[in-house]
Amino acid sequence: MTNRSSVLALALVATALATAWPTPAPAVPKRIDLPPDGLQLKPSALPGFERAQAHCTACHSAEYMAYQPPTAARPYWDAMVKRMKGVFKAPIDDADMPAIVDYLVKTYGNEQVAP
Amino acid sequence: MQRRRLLAGSAGLLAGAALARHAVAQSPTPVDLPFANGRRSLVAFPEKRPLIVLTSRPPQLETPFEVFNDGLLTPNDAFFVRYHNAGIPTSIDADTHVIKVGGNALAKPYELSFSALRTQFKPTEIVAVNQCSGNSRGFFSPRVTGGQLGNGAMGNARWLGVPLKDVLARAEPKNSARQVSFNGLDIALFGGGDFVKALDIAHAMDGEVMLAYQMNGADIPLLNGYPVKLVVPGHYGTYWVKHLSEIEVVDDTYDGFWMKTAYRVPDNDCACIEPGTAPKSTRPIGRFNVRSFITSLADGARVNADQPTAVRGIAFDGGQGIREVAYSTDGGQSWRGAKLGADIGRYSFREFSFGFTPDKGPHELRVRAWNRSGQSQPMEALWQPAGYMRNVVESVRIHAA
Repeated sequence: MTNRSSVLALALVATALATAWPTPAPAVPKRIDLPPDGLQLKPSALPGFERAQAHCTACHSAEYMAYQPPTAARPYWDAMVKRMKGVFKAPIDDADMPAIVDYLVKTYGNEQVAP
Repeated sequence: MQRRRLLAGSAGLLAGAALARHAVAQSPTPVDLPFANGRRSLVAFPEKRPLIVLTSRPPQLETPFEVFNDGLLTPNDAFFVRYHNAGIPTSIDADTHVIKVGGNALAKPYELSFSALRTQFKPTEIVAVNQCSGNSRGFFSPRVTGGQLGNGAMGNARWLGVPLKDVLARAEPKNSARQVSFNGLDIALFGGGDFVKALDIAHAMDGEVMLAYQMNGADIPLLNGYPVKLVVPGHYGTYWVKHLSEIEVVDDTYDGFWMKTAYRVPDNDCACIEPGTAPKSTRPIGRFNVRSFITSLADGARVNADQPTAVRGIAFDGGQGIREVAYSTDGGQSWRGAKLGADIGRYSFREFSFGFTPDKGPHELRVRAWNRSGQSQPMEALWQPAGYMRNVVESVRIHAA
C-alpha cells in the first residue's frame, strides 16, 4: 500500500466511523418560537366582546370560535364557557358569562345577523 | 405573568398566553375545506412545512391531503399536530428529561431518564398510523361542534422506541394494577384539565404500546411530542401522549376529564346513534375503524377521456390489517377488487391501486376496504354527537374530457 492510498484508507475508515457512531447531539435544549395567532376575535358592539377578549383569548386563539359550524346553537356556547371555568379553572366571573355567551352565539353561532 | 411562570413549573419555557400576540398578514393562499365555514390558512410552524391551521394557540395543524399521495410514510414536517392546552413546552432539554414511573400499584417506582430509556432497554420498531379521533369531523351531517377537521388529521410513521411493558416491568406492577395513566409536559394554563390519558393494564402490557423517541429515523418534532411520545398502535391519537413525563400504575379506573368526560363514544357496536339524539351510555374511544381514501385524484379532478387512468390510495384499520379493497367507477353500482401494495405492517397505511379508462363525462369513484376480521366501512355515514370515528365509504367525483 502506498503512502497516499493508506492516507486515503484512513480517511475512509474515519468517515465510516463517523457514520456508524455519530457523535451525540450537542447538549442544547430544543427550542421553538411559535407564530402569532392567525385570527383575532371579531369586533362587536355587544358587551360580551371585550369580556371574551379578556377571558377567552387569554388561553386560546380565536379559531376555536371562528371555525365552529354556523349551526352551533346557544346551548353549545353556554356549555363551552361553563367548561372553561368548571374544568379549566378560567377566572371568569359568573356575572360575565351570559354576555360572553351572547356575543359568541351572535358572532359565530346560529344567531348571527346576516351582514 | 407571575402566576403562569409558577404554573409552568419544571416544564421549562411555555408558550405564554400572556405574550402579546397580534395578527400578522396571512400571505399564503387559503384552502377551502369542502364544508360550510371551511376556509383555512396554511402556516409553517417550527419544524413543519405549511400546514392547514385549525387553531394557532395551542397549535392544531392538519396535513394537506395531497401529501398522502407522496408515499406510505407521512414526512415528519407534514405530520398533523393536535394539542389540548395552551401551556405547551417551547424549550425541552432531552439530556435532563425524566419520566417518573409511579402510582399506588407499583412495588418499585423509579425515575427513568431519557438517556436510560435509550441505552438500558432493547429498542423496537413499528410502522403505525396515528389518527385524531375527530379526523373528518367537518363532514358530519348534521354538523357537530368541535375541531372542524377535513381528512388530514392522520399520518403514518415508523416509530422507534421501547415497549412500555419493559419500562413497567422494571417497576414491578402489583396484582392490584388496573390502569396506567400518562402525562406529558404540556399543561393547562390555570391548572384545571391537565391532559392525562389512561389505558387498561393489560393493554399497557401488550408489548406493542411503545415509548417512542424516533419518528421516521429522526427526532420526533417538538410539536409531535419530542423527546418521547407514547405510541398506541391501532388506537386514536388521543392516547399518544406527547412529551411523556409521568406514568402512573394505579389500582382504580383513572377518572380525569379527558377520560371520564371527553373522548367517549356511544357504547354500542357501531359507536353511533340517530342524528340529533344523545347516547344512553358511553365508553372511552378505542381502536380505529376501517378507512380507505383515493389519494391520486382529488374531488373535482379532470382527467383525459378514453385514456387509461391510474388511481391509487391508502387503506388502514385498527390493527387486523387490510385484506381487501374494492373500487367502483360508477358511484357504487358495481365493484371490483383493487390491487394491494406491499404489506409493511398491520398498523400501517396499505397502498391500493387500480386503473380504468373513463368515457367522456362525469364519474364517481368510490373505494371500500375490509380488514382481516371482515370489518368494513358503511355506505352511509354513521353519526355520533362528538364527531369521532367517521369512516364512511368515500366518493371522489371526477370529469373526463
